[in-house]
Amino acid sequence: MTTDDEPELVHEAAELVRPYVITNGRDLVDDSAFSLLTLVTVAQDPPRTKPLDPEKLRLLELCAGGFLSIAEIAGHAGLPVGVVKILVFDLTEEGHLYVRAPIPSAQLVDRQILEEVLNGLQARFG
Amino acid sequence: MTQYFQDPALWALVAGTPVAATAIVRSRKKISELRKEQVELKQHYATLEEHYTEAVEEAKDRAEEATKNTLKTAMRTLQGLASEQQLAISKLQEAYGEHKILQDLLDIDHMNSQFARRAQSIAVLCDGWLGRRRNDASLYDVVRSAKGRIRHFTRVEIRSQSNFAIVSRAVEPVALVLAELLDNATSYSAPETIIEINIRPVPKGVCIIVDDAGVGMNEEEKARAGQLLSGGNSASVSSLGNPPQFGFTVIGVLAARYGFTVSVDSTSPYGGVRAVVLLPDELLTSLHEPEEGPAVAASTPLPPENPPGHQGSEATGRHRAPLPPAPPAFGGPDADRPAVAETTAGGLPKRRRRGAISIVPPAAESTPTPARDSARTASVMGAFQRGTQSGRRSTQASSEGHEVP
Repeated sequence: MTTDDEPELVHEAAELVRPYVITNGRDLVDDSAFSLLTLVTVAQDPPRTKPLDPEKLRLLELCAGGFLSIAEIAGHAGLPVGVVKILVFDLTEEGHLYVRAPIPSAQLVDRQILEEVLNGLQARFG
Repeated sequence: MTQYFQDPALWALVAGTPVAATAIVRSRKKISELRKEQVELKQHYATLEEHYTEAVEEAKDRAEEATKNTLKTAMRTLQGLASEQQLAISKLQEAYGEHKILQDLLDIDHMNSQFARRAQSIAVLCDGWLGRRRNDASLYDVVRSAKGRIRHFTRVEIRSQSNFAIVSRAVEPVALVLAELLDNATSYSAPETIIEINIRPVPKGVCIIVDDAGVGMNEEEKARAGQLLSGGNSASVSSLGNPPQFGFTVIGVLAARYGFTVSVDSTSPYGGVRAVVLLPDELLTSLHEPEEGPAVAASTPLPPENPPGHQGSEATGRHRAPLPPAPPAFGGPDADRPAVAETTAGGLPKRRRRGAISIVPPAAESTPTPARDSARTASVMGAFQRGTQSGRRSTQASSEGHEVP
């Protein structure tokens, strides 16, 4: 019996390795551990451990260029955010990744200045 | 003497002899005729019996064929639905990735995979469609996919990775065969024990070894398993036993159809069954690098990707890197890539990892620059980063302009 005339999966096929296998059936990590904006980068001197799964290696590659947020990692890796959090949690525990809390919004923008600028603009172009 | 002539008994004897002789001859003739008839009858009976057996066999075959066709069609529908559902679940997982509901979606995904596997197994017994992947897949991914298709998958530990890949047409069959083996392994061993999977390159291809710590099989069971696994006798839906035992029959059919071998006649180091799947070179290929977008950033030194046992070959592979590239015979589509210099022990090109996609500039100069990065990559990278930064600045500026009324 030949197999070449078998119909291919006509519609797009889902990923071969399912996310629950990637996390090995682990429960989701607590929401308080990471937020979408938690910043992640590779550790300076990664430990020599047993070989990592391809998905974990991919995460390390993604974070090699600098700080990436959890949301960005999930987008690039094509994995659900919750799954990425589990992987990042593991890699952080093992010492491969370094996690930094998100920069608080108050430090980024001063609301008062923005309001003044807005008022000024409205006064001028209003 | 004359007294004898006068004896009527003599005359009676003389007259009676021919009569008796005639009678004897006649009856003999009759007997032989009867015998002939009897032989004919016997022959007739034999032909009738033969016809009857043939008819019964034919009816059985027809019934089997009809059953198979019905089941095949039904399974095809179920398989289609399962794969559609899998896709839908994938999309939901993406959409609700940060919600608590993801946990349930992962569980549903697991159940769906088991459901799809059952449908596939029955389809295989009915000479049916298995579904086919478009792309080759790494052996490690196929093993993990198989792991995800059984109920107690967390008990399965994959102890080694591999640089081999499986050709697209064999991805699903190998995954299904492994899943059936793992299902057996988890069913016939204690719930707290581990099922261990090892991948070993051998001269004839690659072996996937599944060891369980179960009760093992006796000689009779081994013989029966060996017969089923050889795939010699065609599978029949009606002779699976009660309760039906799919596993070995399905494996035997697939192994025969796709040309690999499966054996379960050895004992695992843990006392249970050791199942060995031997994949020949025809079903193997090297890993293709997935196409990635143009955004390529600096790569980083990676942790070892081979198991400790492979450290030696890994190290020599790295040292050999500046030497001429691998022989083109093994290269396939990758042959013209000059960077493919590292080869595995099996002579296949080693997967070359590309850098990361990152739109955030490097944290500091202290980030170690990998030795294998050329100055050119760095300049390209720098240009890209400058580009994205200026791009973002300009979009921010313009969007701010629009937002202000």
